[in-house]
Amino acid sequence: MDRSWGWKVTMVVGVTLASLWLLVPTYCSFQMPREQRNDLKALQGSLPGWAPDAKYRLNLGLDLQGGIHMVMRVDTRTALQKRTDRRGMTMVNYLKEQKVGGEVKYASDPDKLQVTLTVPEAGQAEAVKNEVEKNFGDFSYVSTNGNAVVFALREGSVSQFRTDALDQALLTIRKRIDKWGVAEADIRKQGADSIVISLPGRSDPEKAKELVGTTAQLEFRMVDDTVAFFDDVYKAVPPTAESGIELVTDDGFPQLQAKDRQVLLDYVKASGKVPADREVLLECREGAKKGTCDFYRTYYVEKTVPLTGDSLAGADASIGQYNEAEVNFTFDAQGGRDFADLTEKNTGKRMAIVLDGVVNSAPRINEKIPNGRGRITMGRRAGKTNDELLGEAQTLSLVLKAGALPAPVTTGEIRQVGASLGDELIKKGALAAIVGLALVILFMGLYYKGAGVIADVALVLNGLLILAFLAILNATLTLPGIAGFVLTLGIAVDANVLINERIREELRAGKSARVAVDQGYDRAFWTIFDAHVTTLIAGIILFFAGTGPVRGFATTLIIGIISSLFTSIVVTRVITTYTVHGRNAQTVSV
Amino acid sequence: MEIIKNKTNIDFIGKRKVALFFSTALNVAILVGIAVAGFNWGIDFVGGTVVELQFKPSATKVDAETVRRRAESSGLHDVSVQGIGSPDEQSFLVRLGGTTQLTKETAEAADAALKNLGSDVKVLSPDLDNGILNFRSPRKLELDAVKAAVGGTMGVKEVREVGEVAGQFEYQVVASGMAEKITEAMSVNGGQDFEVRRTEYVGPQVGKQLRNKGVGSLLYAILAILVYVAFRFDFKFAPGAVMAMLHDAIMVAGYYLVSRREFNLTSIAALLTVIGYSVNDTIVIYDRIREEMVKYKGKPLPEIINIAVNDTLSRTILTSGVTALSLGGLLIFGVGEIWDFSMAMLVGIIVGTYSSVYIASPLTIWLDEREAAKAKGHAAPAQQERTA
Repeated sequence: MDRSWGWKVTMVVGVTLASLWLLVPTYCSFQMPREQRNDLKALQGSLPGWAPDAKYRLNLGLDLQGGIHMVMRVDTRTALQKRTDRRGMTMVNYLKEQKVGGEVKYASDPDKLQVTLTVPEAGQAEAVKNEVEKNFGDFSYVSTNGNAVVFALREGSVSQFRTDALDQALLTIRKRIDKWGVAEADIRKQGADSIVISLPGRSDPEKAKELVGTTAQLEFRMVDDTVAFFDDVYKAVPPTAESGIELVTDDGFPQLQAKDRQVLLDYVKASGKVPADREVLLECREGAKKGTCDFYRTYYVEKTVPLTGDSLAGADASIGQYNEAEVNFTFDAQGGRDFADLTEKNTGKRMAIVLDGVVNSAPRINEKIPNGRGRITMGRRAGKTNDELLGEAQTLSLVLKAGALPAPVTTGEIRQVGASLGDELIKKGALAAIVGLALVILFMGLYYKGAGVIADVALVLNGLLILAFLAILNATLTLPGIAGFVLTLGIAVDANVLINERIREELRAGKSARVAVDQGYDRAFWTIFDAHVTTLIAGIILFFAGTGPVRGFATTLIIGIISSLFTSIVVTRVITTYTVHGRNAQTVSV
Repeated sequence: MEIIKNKTNIDFIGKRKVALFFSTALNVAILVGIAVAGFNWGIDFVGGTVVELQFKPSATKVDAETVRRRAESSGLHDVSVQGIGSPDEQSFLVRLGGTTQLTKETAEAADAALKNLGSDVKVLSPDLDNGILNFRSPRKLELDAVKAAVGGTMGVKEVREVGEVAGQFEYQVVASGMAEKITEAMSVNGGQDFEVRRTEYVGPQVGKQLRNKGVGSLLYAILAILVYVAFRFDFKFAPGAVMAMLHDAIMVAGYYLVSRREFNLTSIAALLTVIGYSVNDTIVIYDRIREEMVKYKGKPLPEIINIAVNDTLSRTILTSGVTALSLGGLLIFGVGEIWDFSMAMLVGIIVGTYSSVYIASPLTIWLDEREAAKAKGHAAPAQQERTA
């Protein structure tokens, strides 16, 4: 008998036990009542102490288990009214600058979306009309009534604004949901002013509302650089090596950096050095994958919030006069005054731009910014090309705009929904799949007898392995994923059929049981290998180039092909070799 | 137990030309069909209509299955029925692709129906997005008669008279929305035991950009397979594997085209699975051919392929049979999208098995013959002239 047989058996048994162990959280979660299934804390509580962490479990996608269905209404009407009013103000300012019409006053009609400009002398109405028509293309002239000139927001710009507002709201919501890591969420426009969001498996409506429904909190806060806070903390109690916390300097300011958010926060809290009027906030440095953080960095900021995103009027990314990427943002009137005050008082300090409690960036204030316009230059970071910096600027401007949603968003309804494929379809489909699998297992056992039973064992192990891998990856299983799963099971069956047919051929050729088994496996090996590798290549490319459903399919396919190669070649061979060589049998049941 | 007791010696390759001709014709027909008629695109790709229904309390509780059965019995196979709220609420979201009942097909049917009113009735191009069909007639037409004629082909909201232009009377038929189609299908004996709480248009989940990206990734995958097969086997084998794969994908697409079942995300999954299956099957046959080529050096390729296909016949029948067996359960018990998926898979398994023998192998033979002819041509150009 082969000397390496011992460790091969150990490996097969080890892999089996490991995959069973990894599937414990998944199994437990399916034992729980449906409403609690996605409650990680409850799941963790029900897990035995030796089991893997509750987060390593297999989730089912929206199509298979349903989730939360939310309708968000985007109130474009209010936004349009505000915009009309704002434009009226701009018109007056513009006319004043151009010295046309004298002391012009404005009033806006929120129902008709009209602006009425009142000039002191009726004779100047014509000049005002011409000037406004020339420079405010989004308005059309309606009528002149003595001293009053009426303009209305054009139909075209109204509908354009509506679409833009809806698109932007959709983008904001998607970004946020991505940030929370809800995989495979389904977000679509519905009707003219709504967005439907379906979140898989979330069963707590209140929580979902809290997550999606709160408008982004954009804050401007001052960074306290008068003390080297993180330097002190780090030196007082150096963090343990396994926490992964490091002390780094960015732009001359000490910061703490770690991969784990909670570890970092706990460490700072444990130091007990944060005074009541200060707070430590984190910055997330985005990794290669969108919406994930490579690592976190700390900022020591004042607790008072001098200015919020409510006062923001807009933001744009551009290349500035020194060929540097920059983000320009504007405040509304009151916000502009506050901003001027703030920057005057804090020149030389850093101002943290905080979105939803996370520091986005902390530029230094170079001088007082009087006109309600702010600029964040991106040019100070070394090692980045201009294009990358412009990309960053665009992202930042998006974040700023996201903070100031174009229109108020209200939660229309939140309800639990069943699987989008239909609950009864899933139930029947699951039953049908089990029946199908049972038929295959039964058939293999009948047709190949002993070898068929061995193939069945390998098939079941293959299924377990795939599920275990998906569980470690914390993947979300959707119907395309199941299709990939079915395909790999089919390929695994094929591999065993190939091997067994080969063994039969060798036996027919008059070879002994041992030789037939060895040659059967050897000869089938390259066939199986080539078939697997070709499919694997396709899977890998689909994974990297595809999106959504294609990716889900590719994930299970890649995992399935690798585990099928293992189970159909290694596992069955170990068992077959044992039954033939190990017991010195003269016949083989195939 | 054995399916094939003795070694078979069926001449598979002999009929390759007939098979190749037949397959090519069918493939071209399907591609033309897709270009002309198009798929019945599902809500995932083109958006559609969602109707929320709440059933009135009754003795027997209405569940999703009942709703689906009602839709099916009225010929709506592609609805997605999703329970909403608690089961006691008896509320459901019913989704269907498309927004109006005016489609390419119903427009053609309506065209024919209008011609019955008078052969001089001229239908202008239909406005599918807004569900409006314009037509002209030299005579004045009764609006009710028009409604009755077109009503046989689709739901009609109203028929409008637009006016008279140069002796021609212009009319507009406004088609009903998909929502009416759903509520109509849900009604039992004309009565509604439910309340329509909301009707809304929903946008697609997969936009054009995403769709193109998916097609792009598939092309890359095909290219990579081409390279691998050329590297592991011989370049002669590579185009055959790819053509077989494309053939199978087109055939499955043909299933969706002919059955008029909705083409949605599940269909994509089915297509991908079939392609994977097809590649696996082709490689297994190729591998055997490669082996036999070493064993029977000097024999012509068609003969070798015949031996290889015969030798692997029991494996081919078994694998295809076993895979089809596992689909059996789904085909018997499955409904809606899952049934569609299984059916597409079944089609894929059949054509996948067929294409390895009749698409992949003949292409290899052809490339082999060309290579041989070229080699001969280089060696003795005079001889080639004589044979030509």
